Amino acid sequence: MSNVNTTTFTIVVVLFVIVTGLGFIAARWRRAANMQHLDEWGLGGRGFGTFITWFLLGGDLYTAYTFIAVPALVFGSGSIGFYAVAYTIVVFPIVLIFLPRLWSVSRVHGYVTPADFIRGRYGSRGLALASAFTGILALMPYIALQLVGIQAVLAVMGVGASSSNTFVKDLPLFIAFLVLAIFTYVSGLRAPALIAFVKDTLIYVFVLVAVFYIPTRLGGWSNIFGTAQTHFATISPVTKKPLGTFLPTAANIGSTRLDFASLALGSAVALFLYPHAITGTLAAKRRSAVKRNMIYLPLYSVLLALIALFGYMAVADPVTAANVKKTGNAQLAVPYLFQHMFPSWFTGIAFAGIIIGALVPAAIMSIAAANLFTRNVFVEFFKQDASPALQTRMSQWVSLVVKLGALLFAVELPHTFSINLQLLGGIWILQLGPMLIGGLFTRWFHRWALLTGWAAGMIYGTIAAYNVKNPTTSHWAGSSDIVFGHTIYIGLTAVIINLVVAVVLTFILKATRVPEGADETLPHQYTADPETTVPTPAGVGATVEG
Amino acid sequence: MSHTTTRSGSAIAAHPVASATIAILVVADIFFALYTPLYSRLTPKLGDFPFFYWYLLIFMPVTSLVLWIVMQLQKRIAATAAEGDGVQ
Repeated sequence: MSNVNTTTFTIVVVLFVIVTGLGFIAARWRRAANMQHLDEWGLGGRGFGTFITWFLLGGDLYTAYTFIAVPALVFGSGSIGFYAVAYTIVVFPIVLIFLPRLWSVSRVHGYVTPADFIRGRYGSRGLALASAFTGILALMPYIALQLVGIQAVLAVMGVGASSSNTFVKDLPLFIAFLVLAIFTYVSGLRAPALIAFVKDTLIYVFVLVAVFYIPTRLGGWSNIFGTAQTHFATISPVTKKPLGTFLPTAANIGSTRLDFASLALGSAVALFLYPHAITGTLAAKRRSAVKRNMIYLPLYSVLLALIALFGYMAVADPVTAANVKKTGNAQLAVPYLFQHMFPSWFTGIAFAGIIIGALVPAAIMSIAAANLFTRNVFVEFFKQDASPALQTRMSQWVSLVVKLGALLFAVELPHTFSINLQLLGGIWILQLGPMLIGGLFTRWFHRWALLTGWAAGMIYGTIAAYNVKNPTTSHWAGSSDIVFGHTIYIGLTAVIINLVVAVVLTFILKATRVPEGADETLPHQYTADPETTVPTPAGVGATVEG
Repeated sequence: MSHTTTRSGSAIAAHPVASATIAILVVADIFFALYTPLYSRLTPKLGDFPFFYWYLLIFMPVTSLVLWIVMQLQKRIAATAAEGDGVQ
């Protein structure tokens, strides 16, 4: 810890301690009469209004990894990184179509997880298990990447990086994680909901300051864009191709327009299939709170667009670019940029924002994964008569196990492995589209057709992602491959295959009259807003009005 | 939004203009964000920002506005559906 800046370090520690306190106080925030219920620990009592939901979803969806990885991609490849910006635009009109329906039907039936809905809609434990499995599988590397984000900041701060002993080196990470694990265990979803206020405030402050201040140090925006344009047009001596693109082009040089659009569309559809996004949504009190947030959440997208531009600032700042080149890790671009540009006290605020920004989604993701395991594996297959109190205890413990697993991921495995798994996670989670989004609108699909389609999409997506190569890596080099001569996001190809299989098999299974399973939902429940009626008790298969 | 009625097919049929407008607005919002040939260019610049970059930035408040209009239309459809068929 030789080159640690004391001011930066102190500010990060102080803000971290404040947030820890909040995490524990959250247990008493909006307290219910009976806390021993999964609706309380796992969904914060399903009572958040528009305002809290905005902070919670914003803190949930715009993760620390996003703040590190998107500018890293822009720094490394140029305009293709802005697919994330287009993606956070189209996500809201897409989600407005189906998310309020999921909220309504889940509220009426007391569903806690997306797999609860699948179970109720198709009367199929197998399909519900497949969706729960996919959700947990996709969340694990995602949580691990939040830690990678923290590690990037800690590395630039110079904390612990000098030791060769894994335990000593990652001790600050262990401490951060232990604290996160304990307050999530104690306070459940209330903790990230309360901490999200701090996180979002810090991030808005440092991003806005950075966007107005840094260009004055780098010769203005014209110099930033100009340097980036020249830089990405430079021919790489290794690949004999340009280093990147300043605009998505029609020429096939690795980041075409179709690649850009398909990545954006696929990611947008995938976002609210992720269990943690659904957890944040189901915690809302009213259907209108969910809908209104689709209007207010794009404000975070503005933030993301500005953060993406940090990648170009890092290109335009010779010191940052040299630092990143020395470490060979583009993920350090933003931390290095801040460290070089800001006075140390403000760097502390920005770094604390990123670290706290990792804790909020990590907590929600581990809660979502724990709920999936409890409801759709433990209760479904091992203890059908589990009381609400037992379900809550089970989820609390599983959330610890999930986080421990993610910690091992982050510390033991090479980071490229986690990033590849995260890319795969996006492809995998997209395979829930036909059963989940499809199921919200129609019961036409046959449950076994959906299961087979899901398997086909999972297998194709995994193999296709494995086979992606580039001049420096032989496998897992990206998330796009070439189909009929066009570079396109693998997740999108896989979900089309998934859908075609599901449609064809549905025709066959219907013609042969294979049993379709019971559907416990009714059409009007998909638009219901039962805030004025007595809430239905939690539990799949609970009795339902009408 | 206190009603618990269905937004039935008849409600959409009763408001063909509003329903069609919703569909057009949602599809247009997605299309203009994803169809890069429209905006993948340098000019016209806004300040020092090349077209590609300021187009995407401006698009976000536009999305908010579009979705606000969509929700107002949805509210109107839902309100008349509640009066019309009187489902509890």
